[in-house]
Amino acid sequence: MCGISGVVGFKNIVDSLYQGILNLEYRGYDSCGVALMNGTRLLIKKDVGEVEKFFRKENVLSLKSQIGLAHTRWATHGKVVRRNTHPFTSGDGKFAVVHNGIISNYRALRDQLIHEKVRFLSDTDTEVIPHLLEKFYKKHKNIEEAMVKTLNLLEGSFALAFITVHQPDQIYCAKRESPLMLGIGDEIKFIGSDFNAFIEHTKNAVILDDGEYAIVSRDAYVVKNYVTRKEVAKPITKIDWDSETSRKGGYPHYMLKEIYEQPQMVSTVLELDISDLDEVADMILKSDTAYLVGVGTTFYVAKFAQYVFSSLAGVFLPSISSDEFVGLANLNRKSMVLAISQSGETYDTLSAIKQGKAAHAKTAAVVNVMGSSIARMVDKVVLQNSGPEISVISTKAAFSQMAVMILIALRLGLKAKKITRGQYEKHLASLRDLPGIIQNILNERSGFIHRIASNHSKVRHWLYLGRGIYYPIALEAALKMKEVAYVHAEGMPGGFLKHGTLALIDKEIYSVVFIPPREDKFLYQATIHSVEEIRARSGFVLGIHFDDRGKNRDLFSEELILPPVPPLVAPLIQLVIGQLLAYFTATSLKCNVDKPRFLAKSVTVG
Amino acid sequence: MKAVILAGGKGANLGPISATRPIPMIRVGGRTLFDNTLNLLKSAGINDIFVVVGHQKEKMIECISEYSNNGLNLHYVEQKTAEDIGGAVLQVRNKISPGEFFMLIYGDTLTAANIFSKTQQSFHSFKCPVASICLPPSNEMFGNVFLNAHMKITRIIEKPKGDELGNYVLSGVFILSASFFDLLEKKGRSMEKALKSLVGEENLRASMWEDEWLDIVYPWEILTANRVLMDSWKESSIAKSARLEGNVTIQGVVHIEDDVIIKAGAVIEGPCSIGKGCYIGNNSLIRSYTSLGNYCSVGYGVELKNCVILDNTRVGRLSFIGDSVLGEGVDFGAGTMTVNRAVDWKPISVKSGNRPINTGLLKLGTFIGDKVVVGAGNTIAPGTIVPPGKVLAPRYTVGGK
Repeated sequence: MCGISGVVGFKNIVDSLYQGILNLEYRGYDSCGVALMNGTRLLIKKDVGEVEKFFRKENVLSLKSQIGLAHTRWATHGKVVRRNTHPFTSGDGKFAVVHNGIISNYRALRDQLIHEKVRFLSDTDTEVIPHLLEKFYKKHKNIEEAMVKTLNLLEGSFALAFITVHQPDQIYCAKRESPLMLGIGDEIKFIGSDFNAFIEHTKNAVILDDGEYAIVSRDAYVVKNYVTRKEVAKPITKIDWDSETSRKGGYPHYMLKEIYEQPQMVSTVLELDISDLDEVADMILKSDTAYLVGVGTTFYVAKFAQYVFSSLAGVFLPSISSDEFVGLANLNRKSMVLAISQSGETYDTLSAIKQGKAAHAKTAAVVNVMGSSIARMVDKVVLQNSGPEISVISTKAAFSQMAVMILIALRLGLKAKKITRGQYEKHLASLRDLPGIIQNILNERSGFIHRIASNHSKVRHWLYLGRGIYYPIALEAALKMKEVAYVHAEGMPGGFLKHGTLALIDKEIYSVVFIPPREDKFLYQATIHSVEEIRARSGFVLGIHFDDRGKNRDLFSEELILPPVPPLVAPLIQLVIGQLLAYFTATSLKCNVDKPRFLAKSVTVG
Repeated sequence: MKAVILAGGKGANLGPISATRPIPMIRVGGRTLFDNTLNLLKSAGINDIFVVVGHQKEKMIECISEYSNNGLNLHYVEQKTAEDIGGAVLQVRNKISPGEFFMLIYGDTLTAANIFSKTQQSFHSFKCPVASICLPPSNEMFGNVFLNAHMKITRIIEKPKGDELGNYVLSGVFILSASFFDLLEKKGRSMEKALKSLVGEENLRASMWEDEWLDIVYPWEILTANRVLMDSWKESSIAKSARLEGNVTIQGVVHIEDDVIIKAGAVIEGPCSIGKGCYIGNNSLIRSYTSLGNYCSVGYGVELKNCVILDNTRVGRLSFIGDSVLGEGVDFGAGTMTVNRAVDWKPISVKSGNRPINTGLLKLGTFIGDKVVVGAGNTIAPGTIVPPGKVLAPRYTVGGK
């Protein structure tokens, strides 16, 4: 997982290059580097560390160039040290390459090159590329030829780009399985791993497909297929993300900003094209087994969806974490894979879809990034339109996906006649009220959550408990706590307590219990029972509930009382509380909220 | 950008400490709140500063005229009558040109990190009036600033009733345009109404502040301010002219200023700050979060802990001062004890006016005004307030009157 950005123009492009790579930093940020052209000489700067620090330390912004590449790295091969940082140059220093992906046959290529007396300076898979380019250029005296020869030797996944002193006003790039696109401006052209690399300059993008390469200069570009070598006519995709929404505004962190955007997300989801949702509902209806697939947060979205489909549409859909898909799914022509992914590049989920395709199963996906690998691979895609999510911690994207799942389940329930038109309209009305409800809770309860979080920020172990649909909410809320605050939090169904877990209850371990509204009688009773079990052993319980009458009752050690809401949306409200609890714990502990350790925005490695 | 600091407030609940000085002149962690504000403003690139003075204005004016932080243009404006905040703001009306934006700062708030830069950044991205907001540390202060997703403030409830609402409060830093003065006039010089009117016009954005923030309302919050500042310290400094005798132990981060004398056997546990010319007697124990003003004298075998002691105060031998604030020129006789907890470990209450206020603190000592004399052998109950100038008779067990 890495980010690539590149710019070629008439004027000095170093500022634009910096902005571009900074916007891609969420893709990984353990090291950074740039390649610029100083006259006819390549200028390489690179080091470990975050983009901003690197640019400041190396004083990159004082340099001038009309062409440049930048790279932010998330290590997969080789340690995080300077010599493993991109860009890499050829032995003669005439090619500078940046790469995202994994060259699976790099050992063989490397051994061959070493045999030919090439000296390698790094442990990375990428370094074979500049050496191959140099080798083939020497042979053919033609850059394009050298590039195509090299590309055809590479196995695995890549999005790569290079500049060379042999043609100092062109960027060469190519793509297989890792994302890459061009940004088309007047007299200035960009390349980037995604839109964020150039969204401030142009909304016109050309999305490269697998097996394509492009040669880009400031006033022209050409896209060709590197197997057939034929030119490909590419349509220009208009991006309608507003660059302003990519910025932080007055918020201290993107995570909080994105939590505050969630009311808007519900409205966006309600505006999605019903026929798209119906198509997915029909696919589920026609299949023997439809698997819900996601990994990490999106697996919890899948689990959430499982409850929703069961209660609203009366169907049982197995949910499988996509990294476990291989060993569990039994696929055939009559099966379906419904994948959930924010980036649309998630490696494990991509593999699950490929497995489905191989078995001729139907595939569909809910994703946030158009033009992403998953979006283009499946039979039917639902774009959730959540806009860019910059914080590495997913909040609004996952939240929107849950809302999308409710809508699909409602459509399916209507088709399968499990709910009446009246019930459907009532549920839809609850969803329409949801933005206002969340906005109020954010505005009237944040301070309480902040106080609870800062009072208990030193707690090292939490149990997150919920029953029924509140169980996936507990899982997801606990994951937020782990990801952003590095605090051990274990999501668990309330019913598990008496099967062993109660033994853990002591002064050191705290519990959060997500309590359904009273209308949900059975679930409510069962959840309260879990609370009592912990309290009977003098455990600390933070109760998050909608029950005003419970106030000051001795049931909880601490409580957060929410206003009454329709039962359909209650779990989503609880999720927002869980997100804020994690956020404020992280800020109390002074964690790096938007860039937590050991986590990348989209995990494109297996 | 010009800045306006409101430094005229009385601090009615701040008890004996603010009775004899403007609130910004309270000195914690070796510097006044005013000093702290000016330093942050300077590093935020704000150099033109108007200070509105009122309560105990002579002290503030003296400080401003002697102030020598190069690069800052400091001016003061006198608040004629004791008015509320709106009136104070209007005092600087003729200092701000039409169309100009200025920063407005409440002088009794404190942050260690730079809230002014942050507010300026938000202003630059919104290009319209901005109010800094934060989540307050205690429940009592909860206000309610309602926001939409674009950081527009949609409603302000200053002091919500009951405990139903808990959210951001205004943190006393604003960036406003000169037209705000007209608005203030129109709204009967009421700051609250003028702000609400800005909100009504959908013309006030929020800048969220997440670092520590304090509004110094009650005397025990002086101790919190002290702690917040000291926690931001990274390195020690000991003046060349300070004289440390043999066997003095220093741990943690300490600031020891010119001409300090520390006698043999003393133990100094940082973070703590010892002002110019202080004398620390043999075998005394200065524990963390102690802030000693200039020219204080601490006798043999004294223990100090989490306390703020202002200039020229004398603490007699074998005394204990903990979780307390002592004013200027206080004279503590030998063997004075500030008891800092209840026997039953219940939270300590402090009588402010006629009402006891529960501080929620399990450990709290006393608050002593300027020039109080405490005779030897007194034991002072937790949460006691002694007004300036009072003389407490010594307590003898044998003899005496």
